[in-house]
Amino acid sequence: MLELKDLYFTVQDDENGSRVKRNIVDGISFTFEKGKFYAITGPNGSGKTTLAKLIMGVNPVSEGAILFNGEDVTSLSINQRAKAGIAYSFQQPARFKGITFRDLLTIATGIEDENKLLEILSRVGICPLSFLDKEVDAKLSGGEIKKIELATTIASNPKLAIYDEPDTGIDLWTIGPMVSLLKKELADNRTTTIVVSHNRAFLEAADVVIIIHSGKIVYQGNLEGAMPLLDDLSVCTYRESCEGERDAGCYR
Amino acid sequence: MLDAIDKNLLKTVADLEGLPKGAYNIRKNGKLLSRQVSANINIESNAEGTGIVVTIKPGTKNESVHIPVILSQAGLYDVVYNSFIIGDDAEVTIVAGCGIHCGSSEPEGHAGIHDFQVGKRATVTYVEKHYASGDGKGRRSLNPTTRVFLAEGARAEMELTQIGGVDEANRLNEAELGPGSLLLITERVLTDGDQTAVSRNNIVLKGAGSRANMISRSVMKGRSKQIFYAMMDAQNRCFGHIECDAIIMDNGTNETMPSLKAGHPDAELTHEASIGKIANDQLTKLMSLGLDYDQAVNRIIQGFLK
Repeated sequence: MLELKDLYFTVQDDENGSRVKRNIVDGISFTFEKGKFYAITGPNGSGKTTLAKLIMGVNPVSEGAILFNGEDVTSLSINQRAKAGIAYSFQQPARFKGITFRDLLTIATGIEDENKLLEILSRVGICPLSFLDKEVDAKLSGGEIKKIELATTIASNPKLAIYDEPDTGIDLWTIGPMVSLLKKELADNRTTTIVVSHNRAFLEAADVVIIIHSGKIVYQGNLEGAMPLLDDLSVCTYRESCEGERDAGCYR
Repeated sequence: MLDAIDKNLLKTVADLEGLPKGAYNIRKNGKLLSRQVSANINIESNAEGTGIVVTIKPGTKNESVHIPVILSQAGLYDVVYNSFIIGDDAEVTIVAGCGIHCGSSEPEGHAGIHDFQVGKRATVTYVEKHYASGDGKGRRSLNPTTRVFLAEGARAEMELTQIGGVDEANRLNEAELGPGSLLLITERVLTDGDQTAVSRNNIVLKGAGSRANMISRSVMKGRSKQIFYAMMDAQNRCFGHIECDAIIMDNGTNETMPSLKAGHPDAELTHEASIGKIANDQLTKLMSLGLDYDQAVNRIIQGFLK
């Protein structure tokens, strides 16, 4: 349902005064199948979020093509892709002044009827009903705004839902229900689901784990097969710059 | 009595479809058009004949008074002095507003000078909207002044809105807060084209335990310009906060000057100010929900000025 064809995202870096091209996404080709759960993982800075944003159209594709249900969407704007059925949960959701959760749900769904909005909230489950008239502003906690972000994504009934680190700021007790919720949406509506995450709960839930390293897919398959590589990649890549020869023991 | 233009202006500045229920005083082109008093709210012309005195009886609950002004006479600059005396323990909503319709090349303007004496423990909600319309090229100016005196435990909530079409605005808000009183001001101003708006605010926190919160939201479109001054002068144990946000669109400009003055060791004063374009992450988020760029901009501005 979603086909990435030799996809690149290239930036210009300044290296010792001269401009050097660097591929953040470095020639990725992959086909996502309808109704499957994909987890994209990999070390910090490997290009996971950039790839997700290329699919939504937040970042422009430097080279390559994106096909969504057979249609080339490479040059479509964010809102055109949203209309085509792609939804995106941002890792760091925007905060507004004077816009409530109710407003966002109405924009996402076109629904204004209060009872129907409450139905959506109970379907999403993880947001208390009292959230409806909360302003989506700087006063919300990190966890609250992530729940709202996830709810607006689900409410829009997408064909493809992309969640970028949905568990950031979420308490341990909510992660389990969140995984179940995404799986239920997938089962009920055959929503193709892509989660960018380091969290084992999402990796375990996935049909396919994709590991990205230095802008390339280095693994695709089940979690069991991914474990040796994940262990390898968990070794700190900043060791030389921060702790010299010794492994500081931090888990990346 | 009310023509189509009057009705449109009244609807915009006072949310009125016709004549309001309860007490009201409608002024058109510098003269009284219509007035009604109620058992608890008296309205009479002041001794000089330059405006009205609105008196709310002590203990009045849940009543409102509408005092809109409409202008559609070319070349007229209408100055009005209104006083509001709000009795102890009263709770009242005052809806003011000025709508200008300018159909010629002659300038039109209005200066409403309002002072409020808010009695002990009384609560007043003051809603003021300013709006100008019409095809005429004449300059439309609105120069309101509000002076608020809050007695012990009084509370005033003021919503001051300038929606559009006003070429020139010079606003002055002054307040003096007694012990335990509370003042909340929210000012929203949208300018476009070559319009200018200046807002000066002087809030004196005189009484112990007084609190004030001033919120300003500005949007500058076209080449318009807004200048915002807010001064909080704390003379006692008190709390004051100024929050001013400005969104620049097109080539608008803005100057914002919050100023805090603590004359007492237990004064607590804070301010936050920001000027900038619409944040990119906000646009991206709304576009990811299906709005196009222009719709997303409008929605963000609409919320910001809500």
